[in-house]
Amino acid sequence: MTGSSRLGRAGLALCQIMLALVILVPFFWMVSVSLKPGTEPFAIPARLWPDNPTLENYATAFRPEFRIYFVNSMVVSLSTVLITVSLALLAAYTFTRMQTRMILICMSLVIAAQMFPASAIIIPIYKLMRSANLLNTYASLILAYITVTLPVAIWMLRAFMARLPVELDEAAAIDGCGPLRTFFAVILPLCRPGIVATAVFVLIVTWQEFLFALSFTSTREMRTLPVGINDFIGQYGIRYGELMASSVLISLPVVAIFFLLQRQFVAGLTAGALRG
Amino acid sequence: MHHRHRWLAWVFLVPAMIPVAILMYYPMVGTAIESFYSTSFINPNPQFVGLELYRKLFASGEFGTIVWNSCIWTVFVVLFQNLFGFAVALLLNRELPTSGLMRSLVLLPWVLPGVVAAILWRFMYDPQLGLINSFLIRIGLASESQAWLAEPGTAMGAAIVAAIWKGFPFSTVVYLAALQNVDREQIEAATIDGAGALRRLIHVVIPSMREVIAINLVLTTMLTFNYFDMIWVLTRGGPQNATHIFPTKIYELGFGQFRFGEAATYGVFSILVLAVLLALYFLARSAGGRRSMARG
Amino acid sequence: MLKTALIAALLGLAMPTYGYAQEIVLRFWDNQQTESGLSQYQLEAVKSFEAENSDIKVEVTTVPYPEYQQRLLTAVQGGNAPDVSTIDQIWVAAFAAAGVIEPLDELAASAKISADTFFPGAWASANYDGRLWGIPFNVDVWQFSFYNEDLLNAAAIDPASLATFEGLKAAGEKLTDEAAGKYGIGLFAHKGEDTVVVMDSFIFSNGGQVLNEDGSCGLTSEASVEALAYLQSLAPYAPRGIANASSGDMRELFLNGSLAVEFWPALEQPTLQKSALNWDFVIGTAPEGKTPIGTFGGWNLVVYSDSPHKEAAWKFIQFLTREDVNGKVVDLIPANVKAADAFLRANRIGPERILEHLDNAAPRPLSPRYLEVSDIQVTLVQDVFAGMDPKEAAEKACAAVDALG
Repeated sequence: MTGSSRLGRAGLALCQIMLALVILVPFFWMVSVSLKPGTEPFAIPARLWPDNPTLENYATAFRPEFRIYFVNSMVVSLSTVLITVSLALLAAYTFTRMQTRMILICMSLVIAAQMFPASAIIIPIYKLMRSANLLNTYASLILAYITVTLPVAIWMLRAFMARLPVELDEAAAIDGCGPLRTFFAVILPLCRPGIVATAVFVLIVTWQEFLFALSFTSTREMRTLPVGINDFIGQYGIRYGELMASSVLISLPVVAIFFLLQRQFVAGLTAGALRG
Repeated sequence: MHHRHRWLAWVFLVPAMIPVAILMYYPMVGTAIESFYSTSFINPNPQFVGLELYRKLFASGEFGTIVWNSCIWTVFVVLFQNLFGFAVALLLNRELPTSGLMRSLVLLPWVLPGVVAAILWRFMYDPQLGLINSFLIRIGLASESQAWLAEPGTAMGAAIVAAIWKGFPFSTVVYLAALQNVDREQIEAATIDGAGALRRLIHVVIPSMREVIAINLVLTTMLTFNYFDMIWVLTRGGPQNATHIFPTKIYELGFGQFRFGEAATYGVFSILVLAVLLALYFLARSAGGRRSMARG
Repeated sequence: MLKTALIAALLGLAMPTYGYAQEIVLRFWDNQQTESGLSQYQLEAVKSFEAENSDIKVEVTTVPYPEYQQRLLTAVQGGNAPDVSTIDQIWVAAFAAAGVIEPLDELAASAKISADTFFPGAWASANYDGRLWGIPFNVDVWQFSFYNEDLLNAAAIDPASLATFEGLKAAGEKLTDEAAGKYGIGLFAHKGEDTVVVMDSFIFSNGGQVLNEDGSCGLTSEASVEALAYLQSLAPYAPRGIANASSGDMRELFLNGSLAVEFWPALEQPTLQKSALNWDFVIGTAPEGKTPIGTFGGWNLVVYSDSPHKEAAWKFIQFLTREDVNGKVVDLIPANVKAADAFLRANRIGPERILEHLDNAAPRPLSPRYLEVSDIQVTLVQDVFAGMDPKEAAEKACAAVDALG
């Protein structure tokens, strides 16, 4: 595995860097636009660096409302991630170990709901939230997001857990572990990459979700970041500089979180769990 | 432990089942029922019209276009997101000094709010102000600017590329996670047997990720089919319906023109067409499975 | 027992006279104009309203334009509409037909608010089926042809010629040099209402109609088809990619000096003022000898049927459309004629020309199904720019309009 030559590794590193360029070119453009003052027109042909770069767009983007939107997004997303991943873990585990026809059918029905087009059902959902008096609250968003991500999370974790052989459970049982202990001590550590992947999925989906956030929030104080983006899009023009600056500010936190988490992700590389 | 604790399974599944039943099935069934009435914003008293709206739907030439567009869109985006995502996952699975940073950077397209990514790409495709045309002309691949999003022939392709860029990190993250759990012993056994990297990939790695690949394909199919933001901002479904897919059509009918009954009709069909797509996938998969089993 | 009841009754009757002030919270939604600090002016106006009416508290929610239609519709359908809001002129008929807004005839009559207070096109847009459903709030006209003075001077073109069909076309030809990245005329045809209003203005100016008086489709008339053919002939002088271009895209090209003529309403002026360009404008385009007719646009104030505070809502509307207030709370031109006059003189270049164009402007068809007509029109103009024969395209469009029934 580590037999790759020096040259091979350098080649791969180069590939990674090229990949970065390909992915990030639109981001360079985004940053470039975010540094352009409002009065400077777009140049022809497109230039990657503005004439008079300025940070004024970031100052505007980081306005007080931004902090409110940020907090709202954080609260809603993190709550959803915690609740969804916890519930999904338990469900996926029991699902892999105790699968019956009935359970399979029910779970398939649950995931089938992912096929429903959101804009066709948003108004009835709005009415439901309204009758429950949940409009314009964190609860409405968290509830909606859990509904949408939990089925996916369960299926994803189940797929990650599927290959863990039952022998593991039995070995643990022989060692005297009850089901809960088996779960926490044996299964969980092996699924870390899968858990991180699922958590990242839920985080990102909720971080950038727009339709529900738009429909359930009305006052400024409750809006989330994606909805806040619309502040820069008027009827007659887009304030590109500020929009891009705002987007940079929105994207970075999640990337930072993942950067910290990804050590967990690949920790499995050194785990010799199956030999224990 | 199994049968005694069967009830536990249900306890853990109920938190998923109840919200989905209330917040998704109940509204969807309601919407489907609406499609049998002359539901409309301007008509406060809808009448029961049965399949009338469905008949109108088929009669309009648009329906066929939308089904076709949706299928093309979904198939190509899913295919390339998964292929590219998988390739990138393999690349990022190596322990190189750049890997740590790269794994987080690769998330960026996915994290970006959908509307912003679409605005960004719309701008990049701009015939006068956009990067893509400038670049292609500069390196000599094109002699003049292309109006990528304004020509019916290129609009869908352009949208597909943008969507691949936007969503592939999801597949990368999933496949990267799955790669961590590939059985080390099996890999080593294969290496000892003299299998090269490609051989190991095809015969050890991929089969061991079967479940994950399957679920990822299904998920990305469902998510892509209903992906609204990209096309709506890029082209609003134009030019001349060249990029109109189910989600954009439903939104346009309902919120754009207040035609809720027809939006409901398209909504019901949206689910049917997607179900057919998924069914085709499952059929192909089980056929492939049978074939490989026959090979022994 | 009787005594207690009597005392209680008396007390109950006496309560109101003690000035038991029940504060009403009036929910007002407006379309957020991001181009100016308008919300700030609105809030100030709201404060002075609250000062004049101590028992009413106004809760202002400004909603960004891209989501306004969706949010409003969701709230209305979901039974959660505000008490009063602005709505686009083209939604009035649909909202009225749906029965979600209140007719305001009697209230307007008793408040002596009538057609003369407002621009004719604006007042017309607030009427449907013989009743008054809203009070005009702000207006604008599509389009004015804003031109880049330097580019025109360099090509020795008389700006006044831009106001005629022939002149505009000739100018377009002289000003377009694709190799040098210069374009004459900012044509756009993406799926949006801006596409429709510009196209309407060319049709109206040539004497055509979208919908005739009797409701039948007017797009196949000779005058309409001629206008469409004319637009088609201008295509070579526009930046490539008309079918996905928006008015906003044309503005970017105008601002960076590559476009000579852009089509925008009067509200474009503040943006141009901030730029470094030398610019001016002519009021639309029409065949030689005819007067250019613009397309009316703007927003009206309405009261929602489900509102428990209709009187308060009406007071608020009267306040906002008062001559002295209207000018301060709008980003477009005030619909109140006198306020508009003052506003334009204070804030815009060429106020007389703008007023002239406003007086001549025609509204879009006032139908509950206008949005569907608009969609058909977009398809029409996209077909035309794609090269379809204008008569054929118009026939296809009329067939679709007639099918609407």
